[in-house]
Amino acid sequence: MSTGMQTVPREAWHETFAGLVSDGFGYLDLLTAIDRGDEIEVLAQVVNPDGAELMRVSVRLPSDDPSLPTIADLFPAASWHEREVAEMFGVAFAGHPDPRPLLRRTSLGRPPLRTTTVLAARVAMPWPGAADPESAGKGARRRQLPPGVPAEWLSDGPR
Amino acid sequence: MSAVVHGVIALVPDACTSCMICVRECPTWCITVESHAEQVSEPGARRPRTVSVLDRFAIDFGLCMYCGICIDVCPFDALEWAPTIDHSSASRDGLVHDTERLSGWRMHE
Repeated sequence: MSTGMQTVPREAWHETFAGLVSDGFGYLDLLTAIDRGDEIEVLAQVVNPDGAELMRVSVRLPSDDPSLPTIADLFPAASWHEREVAEMFGVAFAGHPDPRPLLRRTSLGRPPLRTTTVLAARVAMPWPGAADPESAGKGARRRQLPPGVPAEWLSDGPR
Repeated sequence: MSAVVHGVIALVPDACTSCMICVRECPTWCITVESHAEQVSEPGARRPRTVSVLDRFAIDFGLCMYCGICIDVCPFDALEWAPTIDHSSASRDGLVHDTERLSGWRMHE
């Protein structure tokens, strides 16, 4: 299966997929998002079942204004994926036929999958790995920190 | 397919050195290890050796996602899969298994 890849500006998002549909890419394989820090990347993959071709299209949106036109009019299956990306990453899909949250009860609070969203459970619970039996009675050597957790999230971390 | 399913995680207490590697690698923070240091004098040794003695090893199966990372990273093979899958509980506290219960899950060859 041959794979193509393209990055498009947000204005070209809908027309890119409209063009792909008329080229035979009628199957939506994937639509998801990645938090790149300053930007939210929305990524969709469509398949042309006849030619066994795969096309990956991505768009970079500014984190403070992540909005995008819906492609649910071209691919009904995009509806659920866009609802998930909307509630998890805070991306607004303009013209979406059913913009209710898909998995969460409400869209209140910060989008959970944005890297700037603090995981409350990591703040509330002390890290069990902080105990250091090897240096017990000798004074702590180097303070152990949980991997992958920003220091300011920790209940005993810097504020 | 392996005969050992991803069931419950069993502990071999005698093999555990309370090195904390499993606790620190666990993505869900579900393992607790409590230990204390003891001085051991060996004949012929110039000065006593300090060893960690395990007081309590607990896994909270309410948090565990059965990824098996703790089993993979343990340098002393003190953790292993056991085929039991009926360790459900009617209470939240019942999902926290401590040293005795975890070692009871071991398969006997």
